[in-house]
Amino acid sequence: MTEQKAPIGGRHVRIDALSKLSGECRYVADISLPGMLHAAVAIAPQAPGRLLSLDSSRAGKMPGVRAVITASDLPAANLVGVIFPDQPLLVEERIRMVGDRLALIAAEDAEMAWEAARVVDFEIEEEEGVYDCVRALEAGSPTLHGDSNLLKTFHVLRGEVEAEKDSAAVTIEAEYHIGGQDHAYLETQGCLAVPEGDRITIIASCQCPFYIQQAVSRVLGIPLASVRVEQAATGGAFGGKEDYPSEPAACAAVLAWKTRRPVRLIYPREFDLQVSTKRHAMVIRHHWGADAGGRLRFAEVDCILDGGAYAGLSTVVAERANVSAIGPYDVPAVKVETRIALTNNLFGGAYRGFGQPQVSVAAEATMDRLARKLGMDPLEFRRINALDDERNTTCTGQALPQPVMALPCLDQATEMAEASPAPRKAPESWLRGRGIGLSIYGINLHRGGQFLDRSSAVLILQPDASLIVRIGLTEMGQGVLTSIQTVAAQAMGLPVERVQVWQPDTTTVADSGPTVASRGTHSAGRAVLDAVRRLRERLDPIAAELLGCDAGEIRLEAGFALDSTGAKRIEIAEVVREMSGRRIESIATGWYRSEDRVFDEATGQGEPYSSYAVACHVADVAVDPELGLVRVERVCAAHDIGKVIHRTGAEGQVQGGIVQAMGWVLTEDLKLEKGRLINPSFTDYLIPTADDAPAFEIALLEDAPGRGPFGAKGLGEPSFIPAGAAIRNAVSQALGVEIDRTPLLPPTIVEAMGEEHPLAELIRSIRG
Amino acid sequence: MPDLIKTCLSINGIERTFHIPPGMRLLDLLREKAGLTGTKEGCGAGECGACTVLVDHKPIPSCLCLAASCEGQEITTIEGLQTGSELAPIQEAMASSGGVQCGFCTPGIVMTAEAIAREGLQAEAHQRLAGNLCRCTGYTKIFEAMDMLPALEAQDD
Repeated sequence: MTEQKAPIGGRHVRIDALSKLSGECRYVADISLPGMLHAAVAIAPQAPGRLLSLDSSRAGKMPGVRAVITASDLPAANLVGVIFPDQPLLVEERIRMVGDRLALIAAEDAEMAWEAARVVDFEIEEEEGVYDCVRALEAGSPTLHGDSNLLKTFHVLRGEVEAEKDSAAVTIEAEYHIGGQDHAYLETQGCLAVPEGDRITIIASCQCPFYIQQAVSRVLGIPLASVRVEQAATGGAFGGKEDYPSEPAACAAVLAWKTRRPVRLIYPREFDLQVSTKRHAMVIRHHWGADAGGRLRFAEVDCILDGGAYAGLSTVVAERANVSAIGPYDVPAVKVETRIALTNNLFGGAYRGFGQPQVSVAAEATMDRLARKLGMDPLEFRRINALDDERNTTCTGQALPQPVMALPCLDQATEMAEASPAPRKAPESWLRGRGIGLSIYGINLHRGGQFLDRSSAVLILQPDASLIVRIGLTEMGQGVLTSIQTVAAQAMGLPVERVQVWQPDTTTVADSGPTVASRGTHSAGRAVLDAVRRLRERLDPIAAELLGCDAGEIRLEAGFALDSTGAKRIEIAEVVREMSGRRIESIATGWYRSEDRVFDEATGQGEPYSSYAVACHVADVAVDPELGLVRVERVCAAHDIGKVIHRTGAEGQVQGGIVQAMGWVLTEDLKLEKGRLINPSFTDYLIPTADDAPAFEIALLEDAPGRGPFGAKGLGEPSFIPAGAAIRNAVSQALGVEIDRTPLLPPTIVEAMGEEHPLAELIRSIRG
Repeated sequence: MPDLIKTCLSINGIERTFHIPPGMRLLDLLREKAGLTGTKEGCGAGECGACTVLVDHKPIPSCLCLAASCEGQEITTIEGLQTGSELAPIQEAMASSGGVQCGFCTPGIVMTAEAIAREGLQAEAHQRLAGNLCRCTGYTKIFEAMDMLPALEAQDD
């Protein structure tokens, strides 16, 4: 065995690349079983309303149909939903949302099933709905659940806002309307349910097999131990497969239970776009002020999330939006109110950034506005106000450990932008602008969700000194299998190719919560390190015995066990052979749980997160001032990453996050008419293409270690959060006007330009 | 039940004959009749490119192509690119550049990239890949893979 470079921070080929490149990797839609039926779902095309009649007899007689299920046929609870189960699996009477399910169908092929779904007969009495989140909270609005549409309110209260208002030389009042977003994962939602006597196996595209296990247990009325959920290869998720997959899984499970045959449910794209959860649209009102020297004095934020028709994950999204509302700045007086309004729109769910991208666009726009009003450069204004090693207390009163990375990230990103001109991808005649987005992201789940913040790992050391690693966190493209492979290889001193990490299955690991909140590497990595510790309690003494040293001295590196001097060494494979020969237990479990934290919900004061990651993006854009078209030419990104675990993967997260944020703020427009999506296709809902990709400069800063394995933090969401703000600010700077509405569609830009538009006079004359 | 149509075509170099309904998509023939599930369905409307295969060396969204219209044509899918366990240069390049994340768009991207490379159109890669949506990578590492190709191919010669 030759000596190997340490795998941490390397560029080895990711663990699943070959299977994905060869076409051998099997996603749910690629798995067929003998006798398998195909499922389809009949949904309400309008909302709200009352279901007056439902007749599935015509659907039941369609060719190939083997089962139709309506609410009265369900075997147990008619209920789904993760935080508050407030959503029926199948409509009994009330319809609150387009996409509420009326009937489930299983047929011999998918075309037959969806054909039958179209001939389910029903009559709906239309009711007055509410589709505007501000109006939903006003008295007299029709309500969705109970007597109020206010699902929950959160606050951050710090200092005396009214007193500070007197010390402000300049103030800004603004109202931002921030749009939602569809996840647009390339693989739509899908699952396969396989009944086996009194138990069931679900193979699903998902971010949390444990949520599916709970949902299926509830709708079938069987114990959790009777539900096995295997995560299939998952073709993108971004939050869209956190809670939502419980719904298709419950559908497939009840059909499989009834027909006693395997049932596969794959959403067609249009259906997926129409019914799945979305990033929350928000209305955010600001009143912020700074003194003549450019120091922020107060920040008042009033934020309303459009939660849609069901609670979903809105409360946990709002929790993060609430404490993130003023960004990484030192402000003596802060008053944030964050409210969730229920409406008859599609329901909001988890989406990369969890509410923080929306409030960051608003915060960073207000920062630019204040700078302009003060006659200061936006960079200088941020430098004056950013949290640093002295002023290190966040708006929740939490003291950040040194070094605080806001200024280093700000400086690094702007230096990269200054070092070379952005490549010109748009015509020379377009106007150029540069914008900054700065954010601080709390790693892992908010304190309100910390009961979920634990994770399980299992290591099985093989007789040939290769290692099987099972983790409870899911691979959805972000690369957790590879980062955990790297962590395990480093900790066991093995070459990466000797370590295989497999995606979760609820029968092999304990409930590890959802793979969200940029917690994958952190939580799974810490559990793996714990398992390595337990395994080494058995391995190190054998190595010491073979080397003739103390067990406490043993180091594992590059395939060898070494004594403290490094003079004596032996191949790990030889130690493992000895262990195997002596029949020593070669399996170890590991566990991670987050540290308990204190947080007062009433005031929003305390420690919402245990550690933080700063990110700064600087966007260079070109704007066609006549048509309002935008081209992002380059983004310079500086990330406080703690420790790079896998360099290629980390860069890929940053590039992918930025392009996804670019789509969100520029082109991705969820057009809702009375709660129904009228553009459910990639022709009408535009996500960025290869031709839209900007150039990148990326710096991964490792100065401030996090609490993850080897000092890692999280990157999945920090890579998305500041980009939208940076792009919005760049467009505003290019045009010299404020734009308070996203996405920045051409008509929105032309409208915001008003009299500044080159054809303002013509537009005025056309409009009369 | 409509009459079945006898269709003969070559898939990854093997002559195959199928009796298929006239409305069957090439995508379904590949996935369901030929068992080649490497080709993915992302939208079913020709918008995302995940189902791209080569039909007589041209990249085509197989969800928009009737299988029966491929009579006598040569189809290449992702499964047909590698030789045994040896990857084609574009597959190797995508592995080392990090152009793969969730992998669902990958077969389609690889087939389009292969067609671009075969025609020597790397300079137009950004525009020519615009029909293949990827939601994970931000495309940059896919471009890097394309840039690696000339060196990799020179090695193989």
